[in-house]
Amino acid sequence: MQQAREEKQLETALDAIIQRVNDLKSSMAAMIYKVENEYETMNWPTFLDNYALLSGHLTSLSKLMNHDKCPPLRNLTVLPLMLSPERDEQLVQNTEGRVTTFAHDLVPDYLRTKLEPMAETKMLQLEHKAANLNYDNAQKQVTAYQKVVSHVWDIVNKAREEWEVESSSRGTAQQNSSTQDTHVLVAAVGMGKGLKMVTNPNGQPNPSSGGMMVAPQGPGRPSAPPGQGPISSTPQTMMNKAPSAIKTNIKSATQIHPYGR
Amino acid sequence: MTGLGSAMDSLSAAVKCNIIPNQEYLLQGSVLDQYVEVLLHRLRGLCDNVDSGPESFHDHELCFTLRGSGPGSSMVLPLRVRRALDVPEAPWQLRYVGQHEIGDKNRPTVVRSSIDMACSSTIVEFLTELGCRMDFEYIARGYMFRKGRMKITVSKIFKMGSMTNKPGESVEPISQSYLVELSVLAPSGQDAIAEDMRVFAEQLKPLVELGKIDYKRANFP
Repeated sequence: MQQAREEKQLETALDAIIQRVNDLKSSMAAMIYKVENEYETMNWPTFLDNYALLSGHLTSLSKLMNHDKCPPLRNLTVLPLMLSPERDEQLVQNTEGRVTTFAHDLVPDYLRTKLEPMAETKMLQLEHKAANLNYDNAQKQVTAYQKVVSHVWDIVNKAREEWEVESSSRGTAQQNSSTQDTHVLVAAVGMGKGLKMVTNPNGQPNPSSGGMMVAPQGPGRPSAPPGQGPISSTPQTMMNKAPSAIKTNIKSATQIHPYGR
Repeated sequence: MTGLGSAMDSLSAAVKCNIIPNQEYLLQGSVLDQYVEVLLHRLRGLCDNVDSGPESFHDHELCFTLRGSGPGSSMVLPLRVRRALDVPEAPWQLRYVGQHEIGDKNRPTVVRSSIDMACSSTIVEFLTELGCRMDFEYIARGYMFRKGRMKITVSKIFKMGSMTNKPGESVEPISQSYLVELSVLAPSGQDAIAEDMRVFAEQLKPLVELGKIDYKRANFP
């Protein structure tokens, strides 16, 4: 009873896995086809979409295999029951023509659970080398590697910190323009605000000029060297913020330098 | 006389057919001095004249007003004269710019009527003889970009110094920012271009916030 249930579970799990693997295979085939045949018209977004599709399939496959309902496949063994050097039509059909015979020279490769032979020999070589090293040498190499790795680690960390600072500063809406300046400029170009002549022909200060920034630079008055009047030493931004004080300053300035011309 | 008559005829025909670009679609904004290089760089990438680089200009603009003659008449006709300081042999430009039409929210840009023409340097004398009075003047120095029919100017506005007879000397900037203007001259009724401008302005955010600036509102403090 128990065994029957387990077998049924295994069967459904295998069916699901086969379906997922087929999905993955078809989308990989589609991508390869695209790369081979549409490489001239293909753009990055579609390429990345294809990648996203593949990784989605892979994720769902691994989710399926990690699922509680899925029996532990690791505990199962695949045994070749019969080898034959003759062509097996069913096998050809199942593998879409890739494997034609289930013979002794192919089976070890297809049913292999160990690493690839080349990787295996390489691993063996390395293990052999490691075993022959004496302790001091090994220790030295380990510390050297650790030094390099920690250095790289530091560099990467520093770069990441910089990126984070940059991106966070970008997030807080960097001020590139000032609305006040926009209005000052537009009003000046459009209506001459702050640009108009300070003096009328009759020598009176022009009330329409309005802007206090104009006053010290009127045509009737030679431009004062810095520091002569209280006004010229005041930065412009200050002047915008404190109009009342400035106006009195202008008055006193006109008394010192009456508009003669 | 016949020559003048036929010219008038063809002009009125052109007005009727609505082929005279007499409407200016306009968006305005500004960028702080320290970021102007970034903006220029971006404009270089976005605009048409990539190979030749941005066109620089250095212009002197004089704004005249012609007041209504009758007593109590409040009609004021503004006229602008512009000349290139860096290209002395270039013709001067006379320009009439009409009222700002802000419009409602659905309209992406300011629209104002605009007529301009080339003229000679005697225009100032001519206008003065007509009874125009100079209202104000300024120097604009900066760069011009093109994108299709759109014109983008990035300019520093300078106030004329005390030496009014020698423009270009003793000038001072009126703010710590560059004025940025995006404009198209088109025959009236071509409102589709305004939408293109809105899209283009969108690409310059957040560096520059190009918008419809109301002169009345801009007339603060």
